[in-house]
Formats: sequence, C-alpha cells, structure tokens
Amino acid sequence: MSEREAQEMLRDMKERAAFMVDLAYSSVIYDNRDLAEEVYELEEFIDDLNDDFQRLAIRDVKTDELEVNEALAMIQLALAAEMIADGAREIADVQLRDVELHPIVRESIMESNEVFVRASIDPSSVLAGRSLGDLELASETGMWIIALKRDGRWTYDVDKHTALQPDDVVLARGAREGMDHFKALTVGKDRKI
Amino acid sequence: MKRSRWKEAEFEEIEYEPTSIKELLVEMKNISELMIDLAYSAILFNSEEIAEEVKYLEVQMDKLNYHMRIMAMLAARDKEDAEQLAGILQMSEAATSISDAAGDIVKLLSVKLQSPLLPRLLSESAEMIKKMTITAESAAVGHRIPDLHVASETGVRIVALRRGKRWLYTPETVTLQPGDMVIGVGPEEGLEQLDGFFRGEEEVLE
Repeated sequence: MSEREAQEMLRDMKERAAFMVDLAYSSVIYDNRDLAEEVYELEEFIDDLNDDFQRLAIRDVKTDELEVNEALAMIQLALAAEMIADGAREIADVQLRDVELHPIVRESIMESNEVFVRASIDPSSVLAGRSLGDLELASETGMWIIALKRDGRWTYDVDKHTALQPDDVVLARGAREGMDHFKALTVGKDRKI
Repeated sequence: MKRSRWKEAEFEEIEYEPTSIKELLVEMKNISELMIDLAYSAILFNSEEIAEEVKYLEVQMDKLNYHMRIMAMLAARDKEDAEQLAGILQMSEAATSISDAAGDIVKLLSVKLQSPLLPRLLSESAEMIKKMTITAESAAVGHRIPDLHVASETGVRIVALRRGKRWLYTPETVTLQPGDMVIGVGPEEGLEQLDGFFRGEEEVLE
C-alpha cells in the first residue's frame, strides 16, 4: 500500500473509533438501542478494516517496500484504534442489556468535559436547509453533529455536504460551554451562529 | 538516574478512600479521553515528555478502577443494587480499556525507525492536533481559557499546556502567560484562527 493509502486507512480507523465512543456514550445517555446497535456494527467494520491493514502491511514487507519494524509499528498503531473501538463496544453493551441503568451513569457522562446533546431542528431554526460545511458549527459553537435521525432512521455518515432539514433530530458532541448556544440555534431562539 | 513518575506510582498500595462513584466515573471518562488526544499528540510531535504523562495517567486510571470496584462493592445492598452497579463497573472497565489503548500508542515512541513514518501517517485527519505558542502581543495573556470561550468560538479543545519545562494537563485552571505553549485538538479552521489569536495577529476570538 502507498503511504497515502496507509494514511487514509489509519485515519478512517482512528476517526471511526472516536465516533463509536461518542455514539456509545450517547446511547447510554438517551437510552437508545439503535445507537448502541450501530456501535456493534461499526466494531465489526473496524475489525475488517484492521485485518485488511495488517494484511497489506505484511505484504509490503514481503515485497521489501516496508521494513519489518515499520510494518510492526504501523500494525500496532492501527491496533490501538481497534482497542478504542472495543472500549466503545463495552460501553454500548451496558445499553443493550436489559438491566435498569443506575442514574449515576447518565449523570457522570453529562458532568464530564465533553457532553452530548440531542435536539430537533425547528422549522424556524437558522440551521434548517443549510449544509454542515456551510454552517461550520464546530468552529462556531464548539459542537459537532455526529449523527442525525430523519424519517425515523438514524444516519451516521454526516459530512460537510449533509444539509439539515426541519424536524431532523441531531446528535451533537462538544464542550459544555457551547451547549446552550447550540440548543438555542436548533429551536430557532438564537438566530446568530 | 531518576525514576519516572509513572514508575514510582505504578504499584502504590490501594487503600479504601471514600469517594463518590459518580466522581470516579466522571474522572475516568475525562482522563481516558485526554489520554487518547495526548497519545496521538506524543506520536505526532515525537514527544517523550507527553508519552511519559500518558503512562502516568494510565497508572492513575488503574488505581481509579480499583477504587471504583471497592466503592461499588460497598454500595451494593441487594440484588437490584448489584445489577445496577455491574453496569457502572462495565463503564469503568470500558474507560480503562480505552486508556490502555492510549498507553499502547505511546509505547510506539520507543520504536526507533529510520524515518519519522508514524508522525507522517497521523498527519492527516479531520480533527487536527496543533501546537501553539502564546506571544506577549496576544490578547489572551492574563486570561483563562474558559473565559476566552475557546471551545465555543473555535471548536478547539486545549488538552495540555506547557509552561517552562512543565506540562500541565488541566490547562483550564491557569491564567495564560507569554511563552505558554498549548496543544489544541479541533477543526483546522478553528485551529488557524486560534493560532492567529495566540500570536497576537487577531485581536478578538469570534
């Protein structure tokens, strides 16, 4: 694999693993089975990606494109993302068991540095009809939209081209200080991003 | 040779300390997230110092996990309690697994490769990591990071601050001084904007 391909695969694994952790915590806070199940599915996906990555690295050693130690370091770096993904699955697991969760679990997530918000986009909101790339919510509010629910179904591959529609339910992650501004934007109370 | 801080702390005795389960869980979540950011930063900047800090935090996480188990066992009065507390223990185990992954990442720093392959491999990401230095001209001097609303204005979270020879991992508590170096994680445009502000090129952060 070229260095570029390795870069992209590692980025993909690293970002998906981080996303899974967010999704897993959200599934617990919002008592949402769909989100927890998505974490399980993504975990399998990361496993496959990791297998591919390892195979490619080993093949490159065989063809003398990579040194043994380089390949090993690359494999270990990818493996760390896989371990983070496993951690996310362990969190989502709590949600999938039919055990009443202790209220402390939710409270502790909400009281930590990174928080999660679920909000519905009001038709009067300035966010409605605009793409995420255009809104630059992350740099303007400190909140990142990680998933959205439209017509009863959750979508997880949101990117800068994703346009928000009225009545979408969005799940966002970010610093606590940006939470109120973000919420005010979704309900249409605050019109300045 | 001076023993590193994490080695000294590694097998310290665990004693019962009354702590709330909620506080433990909040702390474990915060530390595990910080560790991931720091671990990737350590590789990206080839920094042994940041790696040392990750190792130290990993030892702290193991300790917190022990305290969590002790507190959970003491808190169980009946079957229902035990079931609910098992869910809490699962959460703390998960945070510990995540921190172990961060510990494994920094071990890669001791692998000496001919070319800096790993930093190159990590150099591309939607969320970037950037080192920034606060200059005497910056309007940030004399303020704390939360007062500047860094996160809500730029989307960047400041994960560590270096003053003189020391790294601080609770950067939100300190008043910024000229020469302070910080590590920020966030969207590229937010980082650029923040960098301009810290250099004193931008008057305000908005």
